[in-house]
Amino acid sequence: MSSASWSLVEFASQLLARDEREAVLGDLAEVGESAWQGLLGVLGLVVRRQVLGWRSWRPWLAGFVVAMPSSYLLVAISGSVSATFQRLVLHKTVPWAPTGHEGFLLLLCHVFLLIAWSWTVGFVIGSLSRGTVWISIAICTGMISYCAHHLVAGVLSKVFLTLFFVPAIWGLWQGVRISKITLRAAVSLGMTITGVMIAAWSSAALWAPNWFLVLPVWYLVAMTWRQTAGNSAASCSPTQREI
Amino acid sequence: MLGEFEYLLVTAAATLGDQAYGAAIREEIEATAGRKCSVGALYTTIDRLESKGLVKTWMGEATAERGGRAKRMVRVTAKGVVEAKAFYEAVMRVSRGASWSTGRAGSAS
Repeated sequence: MSSASWSLVEFASQLLARDEREAVLGDLAEVGESAWQGLLGVLGLVVRRQVLGWRSWRPWLAGFVVAMPSSYLLVAISGSVSATFQRLVLHKTVPWAPTGHEGFLLLLCHVFLLIAWSWTVGFVIGSLSRGTVWISIAICTGMISYCAHHLVAGVLSKVFLTLFFVPAIWGLWQGVRISKITLRAAVSLGMTITGVMIAAWSSAALWAPNWFLVLPVWYLVAMTWRQTAGNSAASCSPTQREI
Repeated sequence: MLGEFEYLLVTAAATLGDQAYGAAIREEIEATAGRKCSVGALYTTIDRLESKGLVKTWMGEATAERGGRAKRMVRVTAKGVVEAKAFYEAVMRVSRGASWSTGRAGSAS
């Protein structure tokens, strides 16, 4: 194969998991297939992987039940935190206070919740839909674009709507790579998030729809509990590590 | 019960023994069964067999002829041997009266 053809095959193979990519490209090199045959082989495997992936309920749950509504809520919360920060710290007039919360303590609560929710949503999406994670990302991107144009257009800079990006991408990356956390970490995260949400709710500083964001973390707890209870023996693949 | 392609793959892996990995299994199937074996069919079937506990896989060593890339090694488990034997015996039983099995002339109609 020429180096240009190889590059094309290697580019297509980026859609495969790391170990599988290694094995497939090695096989192609060893057998000495033409670039065209190699490309068809890799693309065929990618298509089969995607088709098999969508036969499970997991990518549907990740994409349409978790990613879509969560990205809408996280955009709104990013905007809310930004607006509050600008009012309290920068003393700017921002005519947008969807949760009606004020005060540094409540702002800190919301910053914490924003980070924790975002990480959890990212982690759950990543662990649920490793092979089809790009579809979940596309759904999130579509929802974020929609919100940026319709939710707070003209009130806040669009950059402020993406405060959740870093923790969400961090969680997503860990979800894809690690796929599970310890039961103790999951329960601690679930209880902390729920506790802070109750505190914010009791101060009338939480939207009712935000309670939806408690579901991914308790799903994570249930999933971890199930793995821990049923597990020990077989279920862990050698590539999975705990954090 | 194994599927036909699953049986071919398990048999090829068992035949190759310690040298069973993606490319070698593919060549073995193509040489002995006389049919094309795509990369996609090979690796998705290996995954399916592994999830059923019929084979075990791990990443082996990298070699220069593979461009420094590692092999995905395959070993048939005891459960895989049992399933392959069951498939083989079923094929032998069901073929017992067929003309191509007994060697006598016959037609499909």
